[in-house]
Amino acid sequence: MDVSLTRNFCIIAHVDHGKTTLSDRLLEYTSTVSERMLTDQHLDAMDLERERGITIKSHPVTMVYRAKDGHDYCLNLMDTPGHVDFSYEVSRSLAACEGALLLIDAAQGVEAQTVANAHLAFAQDLKVIPVINKIDLPSADLELCTKQLEDILMIPAEEAILASGKSGIGIEDILEAVVKQIPPPRWHNYPRTRALIFDSIYDPYRGAIAYARVFSGQLKVGDNMLFMGAGQKTEIKEVGIFTPKMAKKAVLSAGDVGYIVSTIKDPADINTGDTLTLTREPAADMLPGYKEVRPMVFCGLYPLESSDYEKLKSALGRLRLNDAAFVYQSESSLALGFGFRCGFLGLLHMEIIQERIRREHDVEIISTYPSVIYQVFKHGQEMIEVDNPVNLPEPGSITEIREPTIKAAIHIPNTSMGDIMSLVMEKRGTIEQTDTLDATRVMLTCVLPLNEILIDFNDRLKSITRGYGSMDYELGEYQPGNLVKMDIMINGEPVDAFSSIVHRDKAPGKGRDLCEKLAEIIPPQMFKVAIQAAVDGNIIARDNVRVMRKDVTAKCYGGDITRKRKLLDKQKEGKKKMKQIGRVSIPPDAFIQVLKN
Amino acid sequence: MSEMLPMSSAPAEPVPGPLGLYVHVPFCATTCDFCAFYQTRPTAEGIARYLEGIAAEMRLFPPDRPVTTVFWGGGTPGLLAPSALRRLGELVRAYVGDQLVEWTVEMAPASVTRARLEALRDVGVTRISMGAQSFSPELLAALGRQHTREQVLRAYDRVRAAEFPSVNLDLMFALPGQTEAEWMSDLDQAVALAPDHLSTYCLTFEEDTKLWVKLSEGRVKLDPENEDRLYERTWEHLTAAGYPQYEVANFARPGHPCLHNLNTWHMHEWIGLGPAAASQYAGLRAANTADLNQWFENVGQGRRVTEDRVELTPELLAQDALIFGLRLTAGVNPVALARRFPSAQWDRARGVLADLEAEGWAEKSGPLFRLTTAGRLLADAVGEAILTAMDPG
Ligand SMILES: Nc1nc2c(ncn2[C@@H]2O[C@H](COP(=O)(O)OP(=O)(O)O)[C@@H](O)[C@H]2O)c(=O)[nH]1
Ligand code: SF4
Repeated sequence: MDVSLTRNFCIIAHVDHGKTTLSDRLLEYTSTVSERMLTDQHLDAMDLERERGITIKSHPVTMVYRAKDGHDYCLNLMDTPGHVDFSYEVSRSLAACEGALLLIDAAQGVEAQTVANAHLAFAQDLKVIPVINKIDLPSADLELCTKQLEDILMIPAEEAILASGKSGIGIEDILEAVVKQIPPPRWHNYPRTRALIFDSIYDPYRGAIAYARVFSGQLKVGDNMLFMGAGQKTEIKEVGIFTPKMAKKAVLSAGDVGYIVSTIKDPADINTGDTLTLTREPAADMLPGYKEVRPMVFCGLYPLESSDYEKLKSALGRLRLNDAAFVYQSESSLALGFGFRCGFLGLLHMEIIQERIRREHDVEIISTYPSVIYQVFKHGQEMIEVDNPVNLPEPGSITEIREPTIKAAIHIPNTSMGDIMSLVMEKRGTIEQTDTLDATRVMLTCVLPLNEILIDFNDRLKSITRGYGSMDYELGEYQPGNLVKMDIMINGEPVDAFSSIVHRDKAPGKGRDLCEKLAEIIPPQMFKVAIQAAVDGNIIARDNVRVMRKDVTAKCYGGDITRKRKLLDKQKEGKKKMKQIGRVSIPPDAFIQVLKN
Repeated sequence: MSEMLPMSSAPAEPVPGPLGLYVHVPFCATTCDFCAFYQTRPTAEGIARYLEGIAAEMRLFPPDRPVTTVFWGGGTPGLLAPSALRRLGELVRAYVGDQLVEWTVEMAPASVTRARLEALRDVGVTRISMGAQSFSPELLAALGRQHTREQVLRAYDRVRAAEFPSVNLDLMFALPGQTEAEWMSDLDQAVALAPDHLSTYCLTFEEDTKLWVKLSEGRVKLDPENEDRLYERTWEHLTAAGYPQYEVANFARPGHPCLHNLNTWHMHEWIGLGPAAASQYAGLRAANTADLNQWFENVGQGRRVTEDRVELTPELLAQDALIFGLRLTAGVNPVALARRFPSAQWDRARGVLADLEAEGWAEKSGPLFRLTTAGRLLADAVGEAILTAMDPG
């Protein structure tokens, strides 16, 4: 097909603004899939993703649309992950397009992700077509939406298409705009073959399958190709497009979006953002924007039952196959036994992986407090990176610790302004800018230490704003912080799972909270047990485990002795399963209880 | 899980201590809500079989030395007709020899009659233990007990009139809906009757009881927070009233502690006869089959079939002598125990005993080592700590 008759585009939107519904409508209108097949939403397949209203994996689809000008156009619709944790993935999917439909829920207006996604699209030089969706809703406020388009996103309002994915309004207008306004595939005249990898999946029979957008040249079965970033060579076994099922083709040409099966087995060997070229006539330059994704948030994951260790290990291995951004390695903890140190792109990514381990792989797990990567500088030595508080060097040897920050865009109702400002302060953040979104909403642009938003920031944002607040962020610079390692000790022994790196001023408060929680959750003991929080060897908070008051059975005669003995034996065995810290027996789930909240 | 009990019997200890006899009488008119004992409805045929079975079991399992204490428990031994009581009494007399010092029979207030008491007196019973449980009509009803407050009082008068040397009343506390004041009033009413001995039991919920069902259905509630206080108040109150505590649940006027039970707690020997009866004898701890008909069949065919068999090693007996001995107010004599069970893991015990003392749960008093009042409230935890130390397995 002629390159000039191909359009590559995506839909970007805040969650729930109707992306899935509209995508389905487009597939239906172009007869790509029948209405009946649409019952299970095609582009958003994973249950978990659907429940959370987000997409992690991008599933592209190729449609054929006969435009009013009489030509049949090949439209490649890229789906983009909906969450900031996956912003690099989003940016790669966007880079595979020339245009984007920016969806705005007519009743909600512009929200945090709308802004973030629009900026990502602009950054990729995409033609952005605004679509005001759900206009069938009685609460639709077109005036507000058009005003926000102009004021916040600087998009001329007259470009907006009015649509309803649900009622099928504006579908043809959208397809016409895609054909007319979005430019045909760029860079197709480059003299060598180049294709952008925007995703990969694992297939048990065919190994790693790369998803690629071909910019120039051709890829066909039997060609030897080179991943320019990774320096890896391989042979093409199969190519094809998504209709939306994988459909084999002889070649993928400039402008096409499709998949490539090669001799590579492990998806970890295929990097999103990498450029593919032919070994025969390799390209000189890679496509722009390649970078290696690095996990930003780390935590320990441990099986609840230590016998599940192998099961957890294989679950992690399988998850990793389809998610190169997720990394793990084994570690062990005094309190929790054997487990894994895992790295994630962000909080949501972490949550999703944990949830999938539980649901899809049926392993009960417990996670330690999440941590970020700290840059630690020591006297006369190179900087080291620390993602686990346990590995922090001796305080005396450290000259400076730097922590990652984020730049957050927080959308909130005016009325929550004061409370959110104090929340940001409490989290050691600074507010750089305040923008009015409309009569009732403002957007705060803040810089916050990443580690401060790991635990409860989002929950508190939601509760302060009664669910109306939303936040989006991008990673910022590293900045020096007055950071210390806080240990929690039970009977004088540090319990590694509770060690954390915290701001010095916050250590006493956090230490008190933790000691209090542990004292509450550890069952009463027969012997006195001190729980202490320590920084640099100084005790900054302490509490005591409750002392047992009563543990006695009244009736104990000849016939009861065997039963009593059995009971004591059983309790004794039960204790063996507990963590022994000195004379204290702590049920493993006590740690878990504390880590849970 | 049952196996044959060996018929030959080698003494477990070099010097045999006192020997007790426990006779389980497995009949009850109805089942109390909190009951987890083996018992069944009394029928003429059942009782006849029972007596015949006891005689057979006695022939099968003669004592190797005279028995010093007898305890008839149940069930409700006092439910048997006077003639049956006499028959059982005669069997026991013939079995025990001539060294008997104590013979206890458990009775339920509703079935205390002059004729029964007379029969018991005639065969030589010395001690009546009566399950009063409470003096509160509502609480008695709530427990599913088949007697009234008046019946308790009348039964007590009859027992006293029959002039048994020692009389015990059983009481229960922490009953669903019982206030602390109600419990103290129950105690006062019991003390006012001036029995020789009092046993007080904190209500426990055993699986397979009606009470358990009520609990799991949420129809009754537990208040474990309050239980430790009830324990403490009971102990103080009865001691002050002239009934010093001698075991977690037992109080007696001087000279009236139950010797049979003391021997058990000191880990001496006793033979158990009747369905479900437990023995600790000739190197084995075990319980008879908990089914009247099966037990009858077995003994009829010359077999004693037991369950829950535990071989008694000196190590195990030493652990139990400590664990159960520390439930006694007097405590234990570690030196004497070490002499009795020299092979036990005393070096391992020493550490935990020292820890208990350091924490204030135990104290030394002359040659004795005993739990403090606060420590006695933790007797089970103490037992577990001792077991963990002596048998880390
Ligand atoms: N009234 C109305 N509701 C819509 C429309 N499009 C989607 N919805 C509803 O909005 C919710 C979110 O839609 P979905 O397509 O899953 O949004 P996504 O999260 O952006 O993929 C669902 O309950 C849809 O039924 C529309 O045009 N009109
Ligand atoms: S009298 Fe004793 S054995 Fe009989 S049912 Fe009541 S508690 Fe159980």
